[in-house]
Amino acid sequence: MALQELPSALRQLTIKHIGQRARCQTPIARRYASGEATAAAPSETPISEDLQDLEPASSFTTKFSREAVKDYDPVKRAKDRKYQLPASRYQYRSPRYYRGPLHPHQPPPTSDPASREFIPGPFSHNRLEQTWQSTISQDIMTLGYVHKPPGTVDPVKSERLRTWDDSSPYHKNRPKRGPRGPEGVLRLIEKDITPHNIPKITGVTVHSMVKGAIDDSAHLHVAGMVLQAVTGVRPKVHRAKRGLAQFGLRERMPISLTCQFRGNQAYDFVDKCISLVFPKIKDWEGVVGTTGDSSGNIAFGFNREGAMLFPEIEINYDMYPPKMIPGFHVVIHTSAASDRHARLLLSSMGVPFTGKLVD
Amino acid sequence: MAQHTTTTRLLTPLLSSFRSLVLSSETTASATIPKTMATSTRSFSSTPNLAARAKQAKTSDPRVNLIRYHMQHPKTPRPLKFSRMRALRHWTIHRAWMLARRKATEAQEAELIRMHQSMHRACEELRNFDAPGKKDSGRLYRIAMEKKGIFGHGGVPIEYARPQTDTPAREAWNHGWTR
Repeated sequence: MALQELPSALRQLTIKHIGQRARCQTPIARRYASGEATAAAPSETPISEDLQDLEPASSFTTKFSREAVKDYDPVKRAKDRKYQLPASRYQYRSPRYYRGPLHPHQPPPTSDPASREFIPGPFSHNRLEQTWQSTISQDIMTLGYVHKPPGTVDPVKSERLRTWDDSSPYHKNRPKRGPRGPEGVLRLIEKDITPHNIPKITGVTVHSMVKGAIDDSAHLHVAGMVLQAVTGVRPKVHRAKRGLAQFGLRERMPISLTCQFRGNQAYDFVDKCISLVFPKIKDWEGVVGTTGDSSGNIAFGFNREGAMLFPEIEINYDMYPPKMIPGFHVVIHTSAASDRHARLLLSSMGVPFTGKLVD
Repeated sequence: MAQHTTTTRLLTPLLSSFRSLVLSSETTASATIPKTMATSTRSFSSTPNLAARAKQAKTSDPRVNLIRYHMQHPKTPRPLKFSRMRALRHWTIHRAWMLARRKATEAQEAELIRMHQSMHRACEELRNFDAPGKKDSGRLYRIAMEKKGIFGHGGVPIEYARPQTDTPAREAWNHGWTR
């Protein structure tokens, strides 16, 4: 692709005079001990068989004439050309598969239009993201500001991964132990809200388990179309890990769909939910307060009626077979480390919460 | 009917079959004759009837075929091929956009840090306002450091959430709004 040839072309454009490079008489050479040793005493030490193939003199010691360098003027050559050179027959094609970091053919970055995963850039700002940047982030920072007077000494906290006391000689170099408790899992630590730690939406996952797919695969196709219409992302199919005879589920049967997206698309989806879908739901109090995985990810769901309220489905819902439009779960991933910070962020964006709030 | 034929030529064959099916089903719905007649032949076994019923349950809805056809689309579009100058223009614009975004992000971060430092200075002033040892000194500072109810219900009122738009709304504020 043309962009691949650019760096060298640009380098030639930026070099003003090639001749300036060769001003100094002594060539720009790097000194190294082995070369100097052989140059100093080539005849004294007999050269071994392996090294006889090497040239006696280093190529860095060659001297080139200034006149030959002066004659080289690619700009003049290009300008004197009367006709455009024919297009080269080589057409760059990016590799289809990624074969590892050591392969000679590396895929171009996603921002390069020659890449197979190139998506044209953002064409509009997202109003929810702009609102967050200008208003919500500052207000959350002010709301959660905790004053730390200069000179305060933080209390020493116990280590999270407990080391062994050297009561036994076998404790040396032993790996650290996990946290106490039946689960023994390391939880995220909720840190104070600072300018670098303001919670924001990082991504969204939309998931739908389609029970009708056990009998008829058409349910899965319709559900996939619905999710694709609502999110704008091609859903990924998941198969059952193990079979369940009660539901007629067999192992490796395609049963559920997920869509994961982040950035502008995520903000778009959340904005759509808050401003278009939530107000239309009948007798809806709000997202249940017990939602959350204690790590700052908030989830809620839509049933079939809720899914039909999305503008993409509402406009042509008769193009979907009856009773095949699924409901789905929505998980909003945030950069908050606790549920209460995530709830603070989402309530400032307009998501109401009801019932008992559990962190 | 001329309008119908022109639209079918434009649509995909599957969609046209769906449309004709819908149109035909509307006309033939009234003309169906009940299958079971009053008299004569009643079949010996019920299995062929049951099999027919099962087959009817799995009739191919043309809408399902249409959805399947469109879901088969390959996931990635064809990679672009730009000429030298076009690629150069893209590269320049991309770098300029990256730079502009970086500058905007850095400006926002600097603004947040400036606000945070200003709050810190204000709180420090408040903390050192009263002379120590007096009765109830530092009262205002303690009140300022309270964080009552910010994480519970109504910590951020629902009226706060109004996304910013380029132009104001037709109804700027609903004065009849109640909780």
